[in-house]
Amino acid sequence: MENDMGLIVKTMARATIPLIGIFGAYVVSHGHLTPGGGFQGGATIAGAGILFLVAFGLNEAKKRYDKNLYSALEGLGGLAFLGAAMLGLSVAFFYNILWRDKIAFAGQPGTLLSAGFLPIMNLAVGLKVFTGLVSAMMAIALFRRWKK
Amino acid sequence: MNVLPFLIIIPLFGAFSMPLVKLISEKLRDIWAVIISAVTLGVATDVFYTIWKTNQIVVYTLGATTPLGKGVGFPIRIVWEVDLLGALIAVTIAFVSLLAIIYSLEYMKHDTGLDKYYTLILILELGMLGIVITGDIFNFYVFLEIMSIASYALVAFRNDTWEGIEAGIKYMFVGSLASSFILLGIALLYGQYGTLTMAYLSQYITREPTFVSKVALAFILGGLLFKSGAVPVHMWLADAHPAAPSSISAMLSGLVIKAGGVYAIARILFSIYSISLNIKAIGWIVIFFACLTLIVGNAMAVVQTDMKRLFAFSSVGQIGYILLGIGIGIAAYGTKVGDVALAGAIYHTVNHAIMKALLFLVAGAVLHQVGTKNLNELSGLARRMPLTSFAFLVGAAAIIGLPPLNGFASKWLIYESSALYNPFLAAIAILGTAFCTAAYIRVLFTFFGKESEKVKAAKDPGKAMVIPMILLIIAVIIMGLLPWQINDTIMLPTAKMLEESGKYVLAVLGG
Repeated sequence: MENDMGLIVKTMARATIPLIGIFGAYVVSHGHLTPGGGFQGGATIAGAGILFLVAFGLNEAKKRYDKNLYSALEGLGGLAFLGAAMLGLSVAFFYNILWRDKIAFAGQPGTLLSAGFLPIMNLAVGLKVFTGLVSAMMAIALFRRWKK
Repeated sequence: MNVLPFLIIIPLFGAFSMPLVKLISEKLRDIWAVIISAVTLGVATDVFYTIWKTNQIVVYTLGATTPLGKGVGFPIRIVWEVDLLGALIAVTIAFVSLLAIIYSLEYMKHDTGLDKYYTLILILELGMLGIVITGDIFNFYVFLEIMSIASYALVAFRNDTWEGIEAGIKYMFVGSLASSFILLGIALLYGQYGTLTMAYLSQYITREPTFVSKVALAFILGGLLFKSGAVPVHMWLADAHPAAPSSISAMLSGLVIKAGGVYAIARILFSIYSISLNIKAIGWIVIFFACLTLIVGNAMAVVQTDMKRLFAFSSVGQIGYILLGIGIGIAAYGTKVGDVALAGAIYHTVNHAIMKALLFLVAGAVLHQVGTKNLNELSGLARRMPLTSFAFLVGAAAIIGLPPLNGFASKWLIYESSALYNPFLAAIAILGTAFCTAAYIRVLFTFFGKESEKVKAAKDPGKAMVIPMILLIIAVIIMGLLPWQINDTIMLPTAKMLEESGKYVLAVLGG
């Protein structure tokens, strides 16, 4: 079944998908410094996935999408968030022990390696949002055809 | 160390790890769900026991040791604030969820996508536990949405049946509208007072009662009445409960309408608004909806031919009793009658969770073994499925309120207080019970009637479905044998604690 786009669209997609992905990764990893964060960055990266599906078609996307991998990664994202929140459980749930006790990610405020568990949580949320959105989109795209 | 955060951590951990556990083996996935919910029940019991023993409100701050900001006198962090009512409902939630999960081991065996099912059921439990422990109104909204969205998905879980999809769509559309009303109410409160902590909000509203706070209350109350299935907005319930898998119906009817509806109404009226408003008027508004719910819910139950639909309308009717108790508790605030009514409402919340879960598990067993829930085709089931029929008999007798079972004491408290407060209300309550009795007697006669063709090959279900039913029967009977002891040691202190909104405020802000 032909369900991919023309040559121009495909070529442009080849050029832009990495750029969208890199920009999304930037938004996720700078969530504690600039506007945006896990959700916005994750949704941006998922946008690259949607562009791939639309430009190259369902058959191509099916070959590169593994349901178990994506659902496992989504669970892993959630677990990482929960784990980061539990780090300071000896004081309180969501106690930012990495930052307060200067353990890791404890650099000068404003630099990349600051803000304690926030970058970890942003990465976790970004992973969860990306895998979740791509899985949802693939599930809808693979839904049984109009008739049958 | 305080165990309270584990009430959230454990179900969340279970839900997040489910897609990974599923990769190992399908058997492990089922056992994992049971283990997680059993541990949650342990934590909930521990929290309840601690609060009951010390008779103190437990406050837990997220992110620091104190809810107050540095150098200022007001709370800036999310607080979880659990009093006896919250802890009691948490134990009920964890108990019924555990039984529903054990029950689904066999009941859901023939369905596909079960790792999603167990993830959703743990998320549903998590949302309800969050609602009952939180002391922050926006956090409350988040947990309410977690609960609601999980229940939309679970109602439509069997998406190859037309009724699942229809009920799911109806529930989702109107449910999201109701949630957005609640969110609008919260936004108005935040705009007016600039805080989201319930305790501080209560103090603020008492100091400056504005028109906006009343509008916000109207929005929030409207949304919550929807979530509890009160009468003008009960239509989703009568579709959602029959269409959902029976283990989910048991949770929806036993827990979701209690945690997201009745509990939240009680919490917001008593802990936030009770000092500032004309509470008598609010009480009568709740009583008005309660009476409507009582009559319509129970009367509609009489004419149903679908067993699960009958139970769903009966749930609407029972919510009427609980709302009546809460309404009288507010209208007669601070008097003996108000105390008794409120204790009755809390008692009936727990009782109804147990007995309605039992009834829906019975309906699920019948549906699973016979393949129909149409009452016209089910006559003579008692000979083929004796244990299931006995479970139904116990559940039906308890819900009508026969003396040796648990429904008697809680309904008696509500009758007594409504008769003392206003005899007209008592008459309405009795009328509701008359309808309810008629509905269940009809089902009973079907069960014990002449054997029909359909049920010839039926037999009792396997262990995983029978054990939860037996545990619920035991709970119904034990709570029925010690009604006044339970009332005096648990329900009355719970009602007292809920009424003292001053203590609720001081627990966060400090004395």
